[in-house]
Amino acid sequence: MKRVEKRVEVKLSLPVVAPLLDIIRELSRELEKSLAAPQALHDLDQEFRGAWIGELLEGQQEDLRGLLGLFNGQFFSEGVVAFDEKNAEPIVRACTALRLQLRERRLKVLGDESLETGDVDMAGLDEPARKAFMCYLFLATVQELIIQHLDSTIIGR
Amino acid sequence: MPEPRTHTRTEPRTSTESQVDDAWRVVVLNDPVNLMSYVVMVFKKVLGFNETKARKHMLEVHEQGRSVVWIGVRETAEAHVFTLQQWHLTAVLEPDETR
Repeated sequence: MKRVEKRVEVKLSLPVVAPLLDIIRELSRELEKSLAAPQALHDLDQEFRGAWIGELLEGQQEDLRGLLGLFNGQFFSEGVVAFDEKNAEPIVRACTALRLQLRERRLKVLGDESLETGDVDMAGLDEPARKAFMCYLFLATVQELIIQHLDSTIIGR
Repeated sequence: MPEPRTHTRTEPRTSTESQVDDAWRVVVLNDPVNLMSYVVMVFKKVLGFNETKARKHMLEVHEQGRSVVWIGVRETAEAHVFTLQQWHLTAVLEPDETR
């Protein structure tokens, strides 16, 4: 019996999301050479640690390419992005990498407690921080969407 | 992940080497970024936890700052740490000194 592939299409607001793509691309470039979540690997010998970090970095880059691939012609013409079995996991991971990088490089001013609770006075932020926080929230929304709609059938397998 | 290391023994083990066969703990540390639903999903996927167990460990991480999610041989522990790190959780390997 042929299995039906699950696919979720989401229509995004172009005027809201398109400006965030600049930040996403910038962050992706920053993450070409460093891990979003630096890991303590003291217990590994140097050679093994190098291979370990190299593979994590390679995976991170591949995930980010997957996320950037969402914003293709269909997005710019119709505002639609699609999640399916192939791209769901890389995109969820890429969103996490970008959110970690946003916290580290753009949102230090907010403090971890505000980031965790989401209790942020947007009006009190300057333009770059406001845009970064919007991006942070947008990426969380993408993650929630994928986890809610694809979790049990795809990601949870 | 990087190829697991193999351990061929031709000489008496040093104290460091003997740790290889001891039990190791995979510990996940809290971070202010990852969503609770994300952490639960990762625990289910990577460690094979059911929903209840995944939520229990996620809350432990959230409330206590860390949770021991797996204990066992070093090679498997390394594999779990690597996969958790691929999902950008802060995971560390610790010798299990409780045994």
